[in-house]
Amino acid sequence: MEHVDHILIVDDDREIRELVGNYLKKNGLRTTVVADGRQMRSFLESTPVDLIVLDIMMPGDDGLLLCRELRAGKHKATPVLMLTARNDETDRIIGLEMGADDYLVKPFAARELLARINAVLRRTRMLPPNLVVTESGRLLAFGRWRLDTSARHLLDEDGTMVALSGAEYRLLRVFLDHPQRVLNRDQLLNLTQGRDADLFDRSIDLLVSRLRQRLLDDAREPAYIKTVRSEGYVFSLPVEVLGAPS
Amino acid sequence: MKLAIRWPRTLASRLSLIFLIGLILAQALSFGAQYYERYESAKNTMLGNLETDVSTSIAILDRLPAEERVSWLKQLDRRNYRYLLNEGSPGTSMRDTPMAMTSIKDAIGKDYPMTVTDIPGPQKHFQVHLKLADGSPVTIDVRPSMVPLSPWLPIVLLGQLALMILCTWLAVKIAIRPLTRLAQAVDNLDPNTHAVLLDENGPTEVAHAAIAFNSMQARIAAYLKERMQLLAAISHDLQTPITRMKLRAEFMDDSSEKDKLWNDLGEMEHLVREGVAYARSVHGATEESRRTDLDSFLDSLVFDYQDMGKDVQLSGKSGAVIDTRPHALRRVLVNLTDNALKFAGAAELWVETKNGNLSVKVMDRGPGIAEKELAHVMEPFYRVENSRNRSTGGTGLGLAIAQQLALAIGGSLTLSQREGGGLCAELKLPLRPVSQ
Repeated sequence: MEHVDHILIVDDDREIRELVGNYLKKNGLRTTVVADGRQMRSFLESTPVDLIVLDIMMPGDDGLLLCRELRAGKHKATPVLMLTARNDETDRIIGLEMGADDYLVKPFAARELLARINAVLRRTRMLPPNLVVTESGRLLAFGRWRLDTSARHLLDEDGTMVALSGAEYRLLRVFLDHPQRVLNRDQLLNLTQGRDADLFDRSIDLLVSRLRQRLLDDAREPAYIKTVRSEGYVFSLPVEVLGAPS
Repeated sequence: MKLAIRWPRTLASRLSLIFLIGLILAQALSFGAQYYERYESAKNTMLGNLETDVSTSIAILDRLPAEERVSWLKQLDRRNYRYLLNEGSPGTSMRDTPMAMTSIKDAIGKDYPMTVTDIPGPQKHFQVHLKLADGSPVTIDVRPSMVPLSPWLPIVLLGQLALMILCTWLAVKIAIRPLTRLAQAVDNLDPNTHAVLLDENGPTEVAHAAIAFNSMQARIAAYLKERMQLLAAISHDLQTPITRMKLRAEFMDDSSEKDKLWNDLGEMEHLVREGVAYARSVHGATEESRRTDLDSFLDSLVFDYQDMGKDVQLSGKSGAVIDTRPHALRRVLVNLTDNALKFAGAAELWVETKNGNLSVKVMDRGPGIAEKELAHVMEPFYRVENSRNRSTGGTGLGLAIAQQLALAIGGSLTLSQREGGGLCAELKLPLRPVSQ
């Protein structure tokens, strides 16, 4: 029997959780809806799920707290997609630091939620297993750089922020999650597309050269991202996971 | 009735004028009274002296042998009058009798008959003619004059005047200063930034005004905060119903009605988001500032647009590392760029450093904004009056947010018409690290 992904939706607004549940069901997913953290915990006791959609603003235990709880317990591998009412960078960063895999701002379109769910599921399944387990909200150190994975920017030795575009960040993140492994263009494209699949039309090669520029990497003698002829690219330096950024 | 003399504009000069004129008049009056009194007593003493002196002198001359009289004249001369042993000069008859004349008459009039003549000239000058017992003529030549004032008196008077001016200036300054400070404080009053409290010490009235001003400032801030909280609360609470409606709309069958509903919901959603963002931008940023490489910052911004297929170009390089709040800066530039994309379909970013300032320009070739409206477009909910804009459905908050945030990061935002058509929005940032 074919596996049908089971999505758990946690939202205190009855209408929203049922509408979302119905929409996802209509699109071939299995769904369960619960109203708060208590119901979520008791449901997870008996049934494992493939992904949890978690509202941040809830009476009682809020989504951030529940997310941290999930990450600390036996469900730490279950992907979490946060729903936030605030289109605010700090909320997004806190959400990612608490261990969410993605976030969506209310009001959202159901089809976008579906696309994000599928992207997160694909990301957690299709990828080669990570050699370095990089959790969100950590600093990744490599060469002279550190990458802040919640704020999504680079820091140089002086702590100066070097910004990355969305696509650059996703590509770099893929490299850092799979250091010293050759990744072919299809894999890279797949992994970097993330949630903006339809919007993204730059070739991987262009993106790699932009990223090299950002890292001040010499394209002829690259120290960070090396080209592997007829195969793809490899991130050639070891990556160290540091604690959460101060 | 209209005052012929223009009343001075400033309160300081008016007060000074009143004080000074009053003091000078009072001073002049008391000086005049003293002078008059001095004059009276001096005159009485003098006339008394004159009486005895003249009768003594005439008696001496009368008793001296005629040939010895000349040698005595020298000793009988006084400052104001002297004796001549002749008929004197011809003159006109006196019209009024001077006081000195009366005194002379009182002293010797009953012994010697006399005539008085007035010698014309610029100064008062008269002569008294009489005959001694032996019949020889004697003339008393009188040039009445006051004892001259001491030479130090004008200096003292000038000193007094200087003292009065100094005191007036000091008093007026002390009286005006709190008012000036209050006016400055009101001028600088910006309820969006931290309140600058007036010093509540000083004279009672000043302290009272300062306290009143400070509490007014606090009230304004509270009202503004309340307004913003209201805006934020309404906007926030609208998000749940809009989410529901959007979800419901997705269950509808495809039709033009669904598309219209979808668009309306999109507009509402946009307005709600901008409302929240505006309320926050005014409320002051909570974000911490950090050292930021500006060129990579702008690069990443532009690449994000290009990756979405938008025509956004960046030219120029700053080579600058600045201390700023990156999310706020990004929001400013995104709002400006979105605006340019909306009205012109394309945006050009231009960065340069000049005179210690960073300048980031966001330019477009759209319809631009009329000169007289440039000043208003950054007000919240203001919309440029043309039908084109209404149909594009702006919230009227994008530029207001951009301006608030530009101020919050220590910069300034100005709009101008671009040469050759279109709009140019310039964000100026201090190049020096902002100490915070």
